[in-house]
Amino acid sequence: MGDYFQTDWAAMTVNDWVGLIMTVVVFFVMIWAYVYTFNPKNRDKLEAQRNIPFEDEDDFRNGEKK
Amino acid sequence: MAIVYLVVGTLVGVWIASELAWPVLNFDLAELTFGRLRPLHTNAVIFAFGGCTLMATSFYTVQRTCGVGLWSNKLAWFVFWGWNVIIVLAVITLPLGLTSGKEYAELEWPIDIMIAVVWLAYSFNFAMTIAIRKTSHIYVSNWFFLSMMVMITYLHVVNSLAIPVSLFKSYSVFSGVQDAMIQWWWGHNAVGFYLTAGFLGIMYYFVPKQANRPIFSYRLSVIHFWALSFGYVWLGAHHLQYTALPDWTGSLGAAVSLAMIIPSWGGAINGMMTLSGAWDKLRTDYVLRFLIMSLAFYAMSTFEGPVMSAKTVNALSHYTDWTVGHVHSGALGWVAMVAAGALYHMIEKLWNTKMYSAGLVNLHFWLATIGTVVYITAMWVSGIMQALMWRDYTEFGTLTYTFAESVAAMHPYYAMRAIGGMIYWAGGAIMLYNTIMTIRQATAQPQSNAAAATA
Repeated sequence: MGDYFQTDWAAMTVNDWVGLIMTVVVFFVMIWAYVYTFNPKNRDKLEAQRNIPFEDEDDFRNGEKK
Repeated sequence: MAIVYLVVGTLVGVWIASELAWPVLNFDLAELTFGRLRPLHTNAVIFAFGGCTLMATSFYTVQRTCGVGLWSNKLAWFVFWGWNVIIVLAVITLPLGLTSGKEYAELEWPIDIMIAVVWLAYSFNFAMTIAIRKTSHIYVSNWFFLSMMVMITYLHVVNSLAIPVSLFKSYSVFSGVQDAMIQWWWGHNAVGFYLTAGFLGIMYYFVPKQANRPIFSYRLSVIHFWALSFGYVWLGAHHLQYTALPDWTGSLGAAVSLAMIIPSWGGAINGMMTLSGAWDKLRTDYVLRFLIMSLAFYAMSTFEGPVMSAKTVNALSHYTDWTVGHVHSGALGWVAMVAAGALYHMIEKLWNTKMYSAGLVNLHFWLATIGTVVYITAMWVSGIMQALMWRDYTEFGTLTYTFAESVAAMHPYYAMRAIGGMIYWAGGAIMLYNTIMTIRQATAQPQSNAAAATA
């Protein structure tokens, strides 16, 4: 298992570092997104957006907003 | 135009499927051979039908979820004409054999540049409409559309990088294994962002609207969006198992593919559960049937795909008709059905009328469902049979079957696939007839439809 996870850090190119850093950052952003979304405190705020498609339909006529 | 392209694109598909069953149908004309018409079929259904559907539905929904009109109607007309000129150029060049040879990106470099210009105009108009919105929150369907626009721009430009040697011939700047990786980085993300994220944008607006109920869980839709956007970009390598690509990349692609079952099913369940407590609507609302059936196929194909990407399954399934069946389970069952549901909904709203014949909508639904099932079942059986014949050895260590024997064994299933395609095409033709009659009916009654919208 140790061999499997062994990394030759000296062989890392600039591209490798950019990719690695971006991936790790996005991974933590994903964790933040999960925590934020499923935090009970944010439930009402987020679920209130469900109704957006039902708010505006009658205002559209002839392709223009009234 | 989307419905016209659905009929034309699936007709070409039926024709080439028939050529595989009965090769005499190519009439010894180079322009009619499978190799020339197959890219025409894929471009017609993906970029002509799919593209027109995405552009129409995204422009329709962004206005209604942002509480404003389009940022620029002129730019929208430029996008419409530009995209259709590109489609005409594809119809001319592909049967003539003018192709870059890159799968799902066959068009030559001048047309690639036109695609980039029109796509950027489309994306800019969409983004600017969001920028001038009256609502504080950006509804989740717009997030899906935006992720498609950003990623397809990036993917199309990088994948199409080429050195032109004449007006209609160029060579990719990539070669060897890098070319293969870029090809499938594009190929699978065209599936992931164009045929999935874009059409999920459609689903998150039109399922709630048609059901007249808000989406089951908005929080789940947010997680669906971010997990899908983060995960999809890793998957391309699973198309290249057992090749010169480093082994770990294929394993990574397969591992993330399997992980993607969770958000994909979360999204499918979110759409279906929108009907929770109102399932009876499916008995009478044929448009809703399209939308919900599409989610069933979405769930099925997003389970099947990751399973096929796993190395042990891939060893059996790759290069066989199982892959073709999987693609059409997603394309016919998910993409075209959710598009049909959204287009029926839009037609009724835009012309302020009901469909000319609800019975024909129902007939279309059943033809589409039965046609898809016949098609994919034929390909499953054919694909698994192919794989088992190819890998079968005698006691002396030689192949049991020649390749030609496996081709001959597939004939009944190729005929069955062509019949499934014909059934599906018939449904599309009925949709086109029903749409023309609906618009004629609506325009013949100007008083009652005075308020009909046109955009």
